[in-house]
Amino acid sequence: MKSRVLILLVIASICLTSVGSLAAQDVTEIEFYYPVAVDAPIADIINGYIADFEAENPDIHVVPVFAGGYGDTMTAIMTTIDGGGEPPAVAVLLATALYDLINADVIAPLTPYIDAMEDGEAYLDSFFPAFLANSYYDDQIWSLPFQRSAVVLYYNADLFEEAGLEPPDSWQALAEAAQTLTVREGDEVTRWGIEWPSGWPYWLFQPLAIGAGQNIVGESDTEVIFDDPAVIDAVQFYIDLSAVYEATPPGVQAVWGQAPTDFASGGAAMIVHSTGSLRGILEQADFEVGVMPLPGKEPGTYATVPGGGNLYIFSGVPQEEQDAAWRFIEFLTQPERAADWSIQTGYIASRQDAYETEAMQEYLAEVPQAAMTRDALQYAQAELSVQNLGEVRNIFHDYLQRAYNGEMTPAEAMAAAQAEADAALEPFRE
Amino acid sequence: MTSTVLPPGKPRHFNALPYLLILPTAVFVALFTAWPTLLSVYQSLFRQRLNIARFREPTFIGLDNYITLFSDERFRNVLGNTILYVVGTVPVSIALAFLFALLINRRLRGVGLARLAFFYPTVLPMVSAATIWMFFFTPDYGLFNTALSTIGYRGPQNWTANPDLALISVMIVAIWKNAGYYMIFYLAGLQALPSDVFEAAALDGANWFQTLTRITFPLLRRTTLFISTIAVIGAFQTVDHIFVLTEGGPSRASTVLLYELYQKRFENFDIGQSAAITVILVGVLLIFTVTNFMLSERRGE
Repeated sequence: MKSRVLILLVIASICLTSVGSLAAQDVTEIEFYYPVAVDAPIADIINGYIADFEAENPDIHVVPVFAGGYGDTMTAIMTTIDGGGEPPAVAVLLATALYDLINADVIAPLTPYIDAMEDGEAYLDSFFPAFLANSYYDDQIWSLPFQRSAVVLYYNADLFEEAGLEPPDSWQALAEAAQTLTVREGDEVTRWGIEWPSGWPYWLFQPLAIGAGQNIVGESDTEVIFDDPAVIDAVQFYIDLSAVYEATPPGVQAVWGQAPTDFASGGAAMIVHSTGSLRGILEQADFEVGVMPLPGKEPGTYATVPGGGNLYIFSGVPQEEQDAAWRFIEFLTQPERAADWSIQTGYIASRQDAYETEAMQEYLAEVPQAAMTRDALQYAQAELSVQNLGEVRNIFHDYLQRAYNGEMTPAEAMAAAQAEADAALEPFRE
Repeated sequence: MTSTVLPPGKPRHFNALPYLLILPTAVFVALFTAWPTLLSVYQSLFRQRLNIARFREPTFIGLDNYITLFSDERFRNVLGNTILYVVGTVPVSIALAFLFALLINRRLRGVGLARLAFFYPTVLPMVSAATIWMFFFTPDYGLFNTALSTIGYRGPQNWTANPDLALISVMIVAIWKNAGYYMIFYLAGLQALPSDVFEAAALDGANWFQTLTRITFPLLRRTTLFISTIAVIGAFQTVDHIFVLTEGGPSRASTVLLYELYQKRFENFDIGQSAAITVILVGVLLIFTVTNFMLSERRGE
């Protein structure tokens, strides 16, 4: 009796699997890993896009996998590969993860797909150049911009008008505005002139270095510039905002999460933050919110740095899955979708022509600040992305925070950071 | 079941059942504890960097990973932080747990509320607890600073970003989170104590303090040993709140062993060194657990 049941079960399962594989023959299934890094209903939006994509491409089935933050998504994929498992066909990971992914030999170049397009060149040219800065290696393109942001200065335009101030166009003007707008009652500060988070500091620091005339990342993938006088100058300016102008809290400010709320509730007249926080700030603030690139050291100069995630295809999946992944990427990067993604999430649309679409035009009429985030991009220089990024970034954080906290002078700290970062990059130089 | 008394000298008949019964556990331990540990020991003898193309394949380098780690001042600082963290959180949490247990073991009005208050942090996931504390620690208007200033504190307020306070901040959260959990064990221990010794002590005229130090605490020694074992292991293993509160900073002031391991493995892609840290971590915990176990067995006889 028992054995008869067993035989029946075996037969049934064989039938089921063969039916399953018959159905699977005409549909390619691909996995899509994505992180959630902003306050928006990302999963709903992604699921909507996938439904639209599958309606247009009935031969492809996309399985979305929400994998945590950027770090978790990367860890999940790398651990899967390490354990002998199959990676997803396509994923959204930090644009700066490029070298780590190439060295680990896990991603596929996208150049062949772009070359095979009818208008591949026009397609590439449509993206904002600042967003493509971290996509190239060895004359190949390895990722395409998807959810991209930039560092901007948010200012309380009402307070500026009351105080008769213009939006700052130089470090000097920025510091003086921050000083003017700081309010004290006795020893208590009831409003800071500016909050500039530095708990994980390289990204929000970069516009300072660029504004001083020297980005911290060089031309090659093994070059960082930490000990240049301009970079040291930038560190000093951050310190001066508290030490000289008393317009921001002293030392490292671990307030990434609180800063937008502080700004929207009037606790800070200006904050330096991601464009990704625009939606949340506009929802909370009951004043006119101004958005602009960071002023540079010299009057009339400005600076910003891009951030966010790109789309990558993984080489560890069968060719037909990679091809299907490319069709999904093409779909996601269409101008209409880039515009919709930007409107729904607050990210800057990855392509310039997305801003010509009707939906975006309507949105910009309603939320002119969204156009300011895009306009800031013309002052962008490359985000820190080099070989051995994790280690180099930790070294830089370590010493930058020592300088911010007054444990070392900016010159000492940056010299030490340069020496250690060079040592960490040495194995990659040959 | 009848108990069988074997005649002396005659070899016991081999019984497979007990081995069969522990087999599933043994397989799990072998698969998910012993094997990964052995694998780490093996990997720690190789140089393997997933993000350096020519070191992607492992090369045997003997004990170089350990030598590199211990000659790195930064790693020694991490070890120092870890020791501070363990020494600073474990005894305090245990002492608090003992006090809480004494307090709520009494039949007083409001004990239910106190029990709830002491135990409540245990129910929260560490990440939620850390997120709550992030707001407590906020400079200027955070609850923690407000409370401290009412009792006269005028020191630095920037808890999680001050190099002297960051480690203390994560320690405070760990103590707050764990004391209530350990309290449960003490409470169970207290309620299982025989009442006759206390009656005898009362007859002999022992005061409250003498009863506590001479009877209650010694009788709870095995509970204390058990709690200190799980507390030390826990202290080495929790990093969730560090991710939320300080990210190991500022300038690595709050980086402990497990956080360093995460960074080496998942940010630097350094398989060899992260395996070496794993081995160090497992070694320390193994030595501690075995010593503690032997102590409790010996004195327990």
